Amino acid sequence: MSSSKRPMSRPMSPYMLGPYYKFQITSLLSILNRLTGVFMAVVTAPLLLCWLIALASGDAAFAGLSAFLGSILGKLVIAASVFSFSFHLLGGIRHLIWDAGWMMEMHQVNLSGWLAVIGSIVLTLIVLGTGL
Amino acid sequence: MNMQNPLARVRGKGASGGGSHHWRSQRYSALILLLLTPWLLLTGVSLAGADYSAAMAAMSSPFNAGMAIMLAGTLFYHTQLGLQVVIEDYVHIATLEFVLLLVVRLACLVAFLISAIAALKLALGA
Repeated sequence: MSSSKRPMSRPMSPYMLGPYYKFQITSLLSILNRLTGVFMAVVTAPLLLCWLIALASGDAAFAGLSAFLGSILGKLVIAASVFSFSFHLLGGIRHLIWDAGWMMEMHQVNLSGWLAVIGSIVLTLIVLGTGL
Repeated sequence: MNMQNPLARVRGKGASGGGSHHWRSQRYSALILLLLTPWLLLTGVSLAGADYSAAMAAMSSPFNAGMAIMLAGTLFYHTQLGLQVVIEDYVHIATLEFVLLLVVRLACLVAFLISAIAALKLALGA
């Protein structure tokens, strides 16, 4: 590898989101699927873990966590988690459908993308409406 | 002169260093999580704002305990696979990438172990 020590300054194509390309729902949902996944990995999954630990630790610990979840910040975290879950769920279903080789035409990809957006908002409202 | 067989020279040096195992594991774990979703949503909604005794009563059922352990195992496995791809895509400093991948693996394993032990403790009433 002779070039490994030289700094790389090769031309790069512009980032897919921003002013350089026409807006596409596909690229936006692609990065959103990843962002919601990372959010759940960093926030939601540890929160579920904390809930189990608190419950197993006893009354006082559970009351402490419940107080946090009932606060404004706690409710925001829950709302963001439910949305992330809903979106990642529907985005994941899209990926599984593509993996089966279906719905690959551009108009189908755009349609399933908008369905995922609307569906995740509806699912979020249903879960938050019945749970909170 | 290199006497090595060309196949031996390239073997194991692909971009991923592996075959389709990671890709398939991600999909299989996603499918299992999809199957667990109805239970997670119903349990989550029914336990939202629940007090200690109600939550204890729910998690002491063997069915809920089993589902929780199954969910924790699949969820933290899927999490590890997903974070691994994100790190491999965006972290280009080899040492940092290696350390982060190790940390993610360990954290997901520990998170699963703690979840399973907590769920077992609740189910067995210890």
